[in-house]
Amino acid sequence: MKNSNTSVRSGAREALESRIGLRVAARLSQQAEGLDRDFAERLRFAREKALQRAAELRSAERRPVVGVGREGAALLGAGGGWWVGLGSVLPLVALAAGLFLIQHLHTQAQIETAAQIDAELLADDLPPEAYKDPGFVEFLQTPND
Amino acid sequence: MASDKELADFLKSAEKRAFKRVVYAVRDEDAALDIVQDSMIRLAEKYLDRPPAELPLLFQRILSNATMDWFRRQKVRNAHVRNFSEFDTTDDDGDFNILEALEALDGAAGTESAADSVSRAQILLVIEEEIQQLPGRQREAFLLRYWEELDVAETAQVMGCSEGSVKTHCSRAVHALAKALQAKGIAP
Repeated sequence: MKNSNTSVRSGAREALESRIGLRVAARLSQQAEGLDRDFAERLRFAREKALQRAAELRSAERRPVVGVGREGAALLGAGGGWWVGLGSVLPLVALAAGLFLIQHLHTQAQIETAAQIDAELLADDLPPEAYKDPGFVEFLQTPND
Repeated sequence: MASDKELADFLKSAEKRAFKRVVYAVRDEDAALDIVQDSMIRLAEKYLDRPPAELPLLFQRILSNATMDWFRRQKVRNAHVRNFSEFDTTDDDGDFNILEALEALDGAAGTESAADSVSRAQILLVIEEEIQQLPGRQREAFLLRYWEELDVAETAQVMGCSEGSVKTHCSRAVHALAKALQAKGIAP
């Protein structure tokens, strides 16, 4: 019985608190509505600045993105999707692979040329030491008539 | 996603209350204006993709955080402690019967009582002064709950505390206001 009295009293108290709170808040609203003109204008300016920022962000989201297609053609897209990103990266990957292949083939060609010269020298009747002979070197340096 | 018009309407409806709420906390109108402007821009920049129904709660949270940031930047320790103390523990109600006072104030609805000698504008100023005198957490809970009309759960979310704490803050705030206004012969 005592508990129920306490809870009723507590409920009544909360209801009264709410009523008083809302009434004070209503008074505050009256006061806020009568805000100084200067501050009201500055608030309006602040609001417009925020809205302008929002508009800028929205237009940036909608701005088309230019990507490079398969044949080098420009692709126009609204969102810069996954495929456009892949389309931009693939040509770069192909270029890097091509450069690596050319370098590899060039090195291979140099090795094969050197190996061929060595093979011909070794297979020749003339011994390789003959090329180191001072007379042969002099022969090479003497201008032909 | 909130449209430009919905965002504009919301900001227009909330800006004056937001400004006054921050003024009560920081007691500096220019600083309050900066805080409100920063909060509006932050809302527009970061929460543009949210539905319009979420804007009030988000804005209140941004505003509270921006006000806290302002206090941190100011590093005015006394003001900080005064405005953001958890609870006003000095409960000096004595033999003041709050229920009777509340009932008396409630019963005085629509009557002018002390307004016979004090103008309506002066009463509003006194109420504002009393709001400013409240401890920071009590004032914040009171304003969010009764002025911004957030429910207890939303208020707790904005303030980063439990719902029980919100109820306690609100109750203490109403009692303090009722006591102070009654002492001045003003019915809210």
